[in-house]
Amino acid sequence: MSHTHSHGKPGADTHHKAAPMVEEITDYEVLEIAVRELAIEHGLFTAEDHRRFTEWAESIGPAAGSRLVAKAWTDPAFKARALKDGVKACKEIGVDWAEPTGVGTPSDYMEFHVLEDTPTLHHVIVCTLCSCYPRPLLGMSPEWYRTTNYRRRLVRWPRQVLAEFGLILPPEVEVRVEDSNQKCRFMVLPVRPKGTENWTEEQLEAIVTRDCMIGVALPKPGRTADVHPIQKARRPVESSHQEAK
Amino acid sequence: MRRLGPGMKKSKTGHSPEKAAATGALFKVGDQVRVRDMPYMFYTRSQMYTRGVAGTIAALTYKDLIPEEEAFNFDGRIEQYYIVRFRQKDLWPGYPFDNDTLQTECPHRWLEPAKN
Repeated sequence: MSHTHSHGKPGADTHHKAAPMVEEITDYEVLEIAVRELAIEHGLFTAEDHRRFTEWAESIGPAAGSRLVAKAWTDPAFKARALKDGVKACKEIGVDWAEPTGVGTPSDYMEFHVLEDTPTLHHVIVCTLCSCYPRPLLGMSPEWYRTTNYRRRLVRWPRQVLAEFGLILPPEVEVRVEDSNQKCRFMVLPVRPKGTENWTEEQLEAIVTRDCMIGVALPKPGRTADVHPIQKARRPVESSHQEAK
Repeated sequence: MRRLGPGMKKSKTGHSPEKAAATGALFKVGDQVRVRDMPYMFYTRSQMYTRGVAGTIAALTYKDLIPEEEAFNFDGRIEQYYIVRFRQKDLWPGYPFDNDTLQTECPHRWLEPAKN
């Protein structure tokens, strides 16, 4: 499967073979395809059902979460309800955790907690077990959230990992990691930033990005997107099996 | 994919309170508990890094099937789940920030009372 690219080495051949369409497929992806094909063959659901569900699931983004935060910032009674019963509060902003099956999406449970930050308490969410995430509210988790790098390091070195996201918190702020590895799903309700005093709910929604609701960023005026620049290694590691080919 | 079988319905509606009660008296918010270091077969959601560490009950969440049985589609025991709060200093030797904490969920069977 490995293909040889000589990354800019002087004197290396410049002939590039066509890269394979799929660089790598994990055992679990193979397993998912096999089980899905079997289920379709046995008539448990149709390929059309599967396509429709996938499109539905992929179409959910974090916008509803941003609405929840903006509403909680502007309406103290709603905030109190959201902290008391997250699933119920989601209904008020148009998200029903029971969709589409009546008992929720597959592998999500109908247990949802909103974690309120204060000036001295900052929450950040991880699932060390896999990738548990409040999908009915925030959509699919970002790729980095599912990496073993984030999962294993956030519990052990939370401040260092947050710093890598550009978030450096003073020692007097308690960093509270929420390891979401059972059936509750969580979202962070950040502190409303200064400079937003007379803003409308719509203006507020724009600064509550997905990363703010996971807890790896703080909302602030002017920050309306999660950008993770990819820094390419200047001296990439070359593995020996590639060299040998 | 989560099966929509009897286990799920049971946990949300007609679960048996006797079964949950049989596992011992429930902990209360503020109780000191220790995560038990038990063997398990094939599957658990109780992470190794919490085993043997003492923490505080932060919340009682719900009663549901235990992961060790649910993972195999077995309608087994239903137990109370808790959110437990640990001090990071207790989880990791040499952790440098006194105030930092970590919370995770545990079913009843994985917890035992801890002395202060």
